[in-house]
Amino acid sequence: MTLGREFRKGFWRENAVFRLLLGLCPALAVTTSAENGLGMGLATTFVLVCSNIVVSSLRKVIPSKVRIPSFIVVIASFVTVVQLCMEAYFYDLYKALGIFIPLIVVNCLILGRAEAFASKNRLLPAVVDGLGMGIGFTLALFALGAVRELFGSGALLGYSIFGPGYQPLILMILPPGAFIAMGLLLAAMNLIDNRRR
Amino acid sequence: MKGMMRLVLALTMITVSAGLILSLVEAMTREPIAEQRRLETLRALQAVLPPADNSPDQDTVQLVTGQDKRGRDVARTFFRGRQGRTLTGVAFQVTAADGYSGNINIMVGVDPSATLVGIEILSHNETPGLGDKIDQPEFKEMFAGKNLDNADWRVKKDGGEFDQITGATISPRAVVGAVRKGLEFFRDHRSEILTDIQGEKP
Repeated sequence: MTLGREFRKGFWRENAVFRLLLGLCPALAVTTSAENGLGMGLATTFVLVCSNIVVSSLRKVIPSKVRIPSFIVVIASFVTVVQLCMEAYFYDLYKALGIFIPLIVVNCLILGRAEAFASKNRLLPAVVDGLGMGIGFTLALFALGAVRELFGSGALLGYSIFGPGYQPLILMILPPGAFIAMGLLLAAMNLIDNRRR
Repeated sequence: MKGMMRLVLALTMITVSAGLILSLVEAMTREPIAEQRRLETLRALQAVLPPADNSPDQDTVQLVTGQDKRGRDVARTFFRGRQGRTLTGVAFQVTAADGYSGNINIMVGVDPSATLVGIEILSHNETPGLGDKIDQPEFKEMFAGKNLDNADWRVKKDGGEFDQITGATISPRAVVGAVRKGLEFFRDHRSEILTDIQGEKP
């Protein structure tokens, strides 16, 4: 498999949220607006690439019997680094994402890539895989956040789209709206896939 | 047994290096984080206090406001802003525990006659897109110029004069209630808060 395919697979064919249905907890919880989705996606991508690098470099050192605790320690350390740096240097973003950052640790997407890809591949493919899957995850969160923000607050990235007369569909920014938007987007993706065939 | 030792060794190595890296990063970011938090308090103080030429975060009085569940005293800090020697305003933090989810922390600023200058929402976990509108200027600006005597301290839905937010009544109700309680505390303890204000302390 070429690096290009490895990179692109996360965008659609193996998209973490819509195809593998991984990392749904943060995907559903933070996507009340497009901006939050984007921030969470980028933070996750950073942790994913870093953890893939470390896991891939150490794949011959880590005994397979203790690989899961080792991966978790690596991931949790990177998440803490991200959290501290964000609080120190990007305080506004930290305040917006605050409670969701520790959630990155339990994002099964990251552990999943460490286990299924990085621990079995060399450094370069592991980096490419982390980048691709991370960007795919970010796109998915952005799409979910955009749909929910558009109907739930009538705005996109904070800019009003439908004007002041729009009666917001509050359900969309509440937790049930996350599941509804997710289901609709999934259905749309399946529809496109079926047409293509 | 030899295999076992290898597992222990590998895991120990990983956790020890993780610990090392984390303590390094923590040491590097400790100062900037403390500075950011101080700046945040200062920003909130500036927003809710009339113009002052001292550092209100240095000029404080602590008063006991009650006891927590274990009977320990809960203190509240009052930040005092002044121009020269004249007091221009007092700011203090109140907490609304009856919001939609979790505590809402609010910085309240009053002038010496106990009339509100402004409020700032310091932190909250209200529903994004609904209750979190308490953090928008239109909501916060309603409080300027209000005091215990010239306003009916309830949201409109309860017969008062504070606008609630479309789709969210609980969060504004909590904020209004907490600010009112803060003002009452200030009224009842005014002399203690303003002790040592005449004269000394430049």
